[in-house]
Amino acid sequence: MVSLKPPALPLAEKPALTEIKAQSRLLVPDVNPGGAQDLNQNDPRRSEDRHAEVKESGFDPRAHLAAIVESSADAIISKDLNGIIVSWNDSATWIFGYAANEIIGRSILMLIPPELHQEEDYILGKIRAGERIDQYETVRIRKSGERFPISATISSIRDATGKIIGASKIARDISDRKENEQSRFQLAAIVDSADDAIVSKDLNGIVRTWNQGAARMFGYTSEEMEGQPILRLIPEELHYEEDEILRKLREGDRVDHYETVRMKKGGEHFEVSVTISPIRDASGQVIGASKIARDISDRKRMERLLVQSEKLAATGRMAAAVAHEINNPLESLINLIFLARKNSPSEGKAYAHLRTAEQELERVAHIARQTLGYYRDTGLPAEVHLHELIENVLTVYGAKLLANDIRVEAQFNDMQKITVSRGELVQVFSNIITNAIDAMHGGGIINITTRKITSPRGEGIQTVIRDSGVGIRQEYLEKIFEPFFTTKGNLGTGIGLWIARELVERRGGQVSVASSTECGSSGTSVTIFIPFAPPDSRVSSHK
Amino acid sequence: MASASVFLIGENASNIKLPHSEASDAIETQRDRPIVLLVDDEQLIVDTLAEILEGAGFFVLAAYDGWTALEKVARCRPEYLLSDVLMPKMNGVELAIAIRKMYPSTRITLFSGQAGISDILLDGKRQGFEFELIAKPIHPLKLVEHLKGKRTDLS
Repeated sequence: MVSLKPPALPLAEKPALTEIKAQSRLLVPDVNPGGAQDLNQNDPRRSEDRHAEVKESGFDPRAHLAAIVESSADAIISKDLNGIIVSWNDSATWIFGYAANEIIGRSILMLIPPELHQEEDYILGKIRAGERIDQYETVRIRKSGERFPISATISSIRDATGKIIGASKIARDISDRKENEQSRFQLAAIVDSADDAIVSKDLNGIVRTWNQGAARMFGYTSEEMEGQPILRLIPEELHYEEDEILRKLREGDRVDHYETVRMKKGGEHFEVSVTISPIRDASGQVIGASKIARDISDRKRMERLLVQSEKLAATGRMAAAVAHEINNPLESLINLIFLARKNSPSEGKAYAHLRTAEQELERVAHIARQTLGYYRDTGLPAEVHLHELIENVLTVYGAKLLANDIRVEAQFNDMQKITVSRGELVQVFSNIITNAIDAMHGGGIINITTRKITSPRGEGIQTVIRDSGVGIRQEYLEKIFEPFFTTKGNLGTGIGLWIARELVERRGGQVSVASSTECGSSGTSVTIFIPFAPPDSRVSSHK
Repeated sequence: MASASVFLIGENASNIKLPHSEASDAIETQRDRPIVLLVDDEQLIVDTLAEILEGAGFFVLAAYDGWTALEKVARCRPEYLLSDVLMPKMNGVELAIAIRKMYPSTRITLFSGQAGISDILLDGKRQGFEFELIAKPIHPLKLVEHLKGKRTDLS
């Protein structure tokens, strides 16, 4: 007979779990060369016959069981109904750190943290009732005082008469498993709390996992998306992208920071940056892909704004430079022609020609002022009645209004003066009134109202200028404040409304436009709100 | 021609080393006409405007830069200053500040053909000086009206 016990293990050096397993695999077949499998399975004979045969071969089942207990990787402990330890296997020794002779005869409470001592009463209660406790997860203490998680299965032990006399306990150290779980939970928590959408899909493009970030970004819950094709998120015209992505993945390539457009549940398109990497199984085979998507629409919007404002700044610098080169010679020219006219006989032809030349120069000067020389700083803001200012502008355009058969209806209710830069506001109203005139080829009515209102931006004066012109098409409406956008063809500079808005907004106000092109009720209405209080940053915001 | 006499007077007035009698002669020539100090680095603008303003009843002291301008008014107070803003050596705001300090009652108008002069005006604002600014080009009759209008405001 070979010794049933594995070689005594010095306590100092705990063998690794695998080592013990290896030993047991070596030992058990030695004890019974027939093997456990042969005994129980695929044997058609009756079990008594088999038992008899086993006995004849000199096999002692008790010794066999003892060997199993001793070689088990789990701690196997038995105790009586008072909780006194009766047996203790080698794995118990290396899991808990106590040698058998140290612990046998002592209370099982030695292994239980003081705050969990009431667990033992509960366990013993169950055992006395003949119940079994399966894979109960709790915490125990090693000899070193270290606490560790275990999974225990506890069953009652009966004597020959069937009376319960104690309990057996099979305990497994689950520190490793707990650690794994913990790190898995941590990873899951990180994935779920991420702002980015983190999604996994298989190689057929079917979504497998869907984090909360994805739910927030796309509007679909994980229930709605898991099992669904990822194509649901891709605008139809970009479906080809998915084929390309899947092809790359199958080759094991990744896709880094790919900027594209995706679609929310509501159909809304938005810009994303996507990183897609293959997921491999243990053998290295690509089985799917993880996809991290970031909503970059804000960044993109900022980028576009930046480009826009850069363009504006460049345009402004150019306009200022050109203005200088045009307005100064114009000033000389007007003076020269004026002098020439003064010095020619007033009945002569020259006088009439020079008068016409002067008028034409006025036109040029007007255009130059409107397009290039807009004065950001016509200096000192002054207290004015807005309606007086508007009336001045209307006087300037009086002839033009008359020629175009346009009537002006005005209701001015701005009793309070407002502090504005006259030059700037004259420009704002000139631009808007010119637009109204240009929109009414066959005559019409311009309706102007001013009144004091309280808006979210504070108290101020609201001016509404409504024309009965042709109106602005819906698709143009959002563009009319952009520089160089014009619906007037070669005659327009595309700069008037842009400047008007710049000037009003810098004053802390607001310009909005509503328009209809519907036949019979067409027209455009421009609303300008200017608060009484000028923005505090007015001076400091200038460069 | 009228312009010739204007510049003769202007040149005389600019000479600050004039003997006392000559200076009083210049002021005599001016009689009751309001004095305008006209400054622009664009000579053609100065020359033409000087003629126009003289024709409209002003007495014009003309200069093509700020330093010359200051020399010209060292001995006599101009009623008006009409100056360009962007000029080499001394800009219009610097000149205007100097004149304001010398003659607080002189009416100051700046005129400019350019939008990008906010920095210069802001500099003045920071020092507590704000000046009226009108845009070039401006029709001569409007300019005259503007200056005379200010004068009426005064009296």
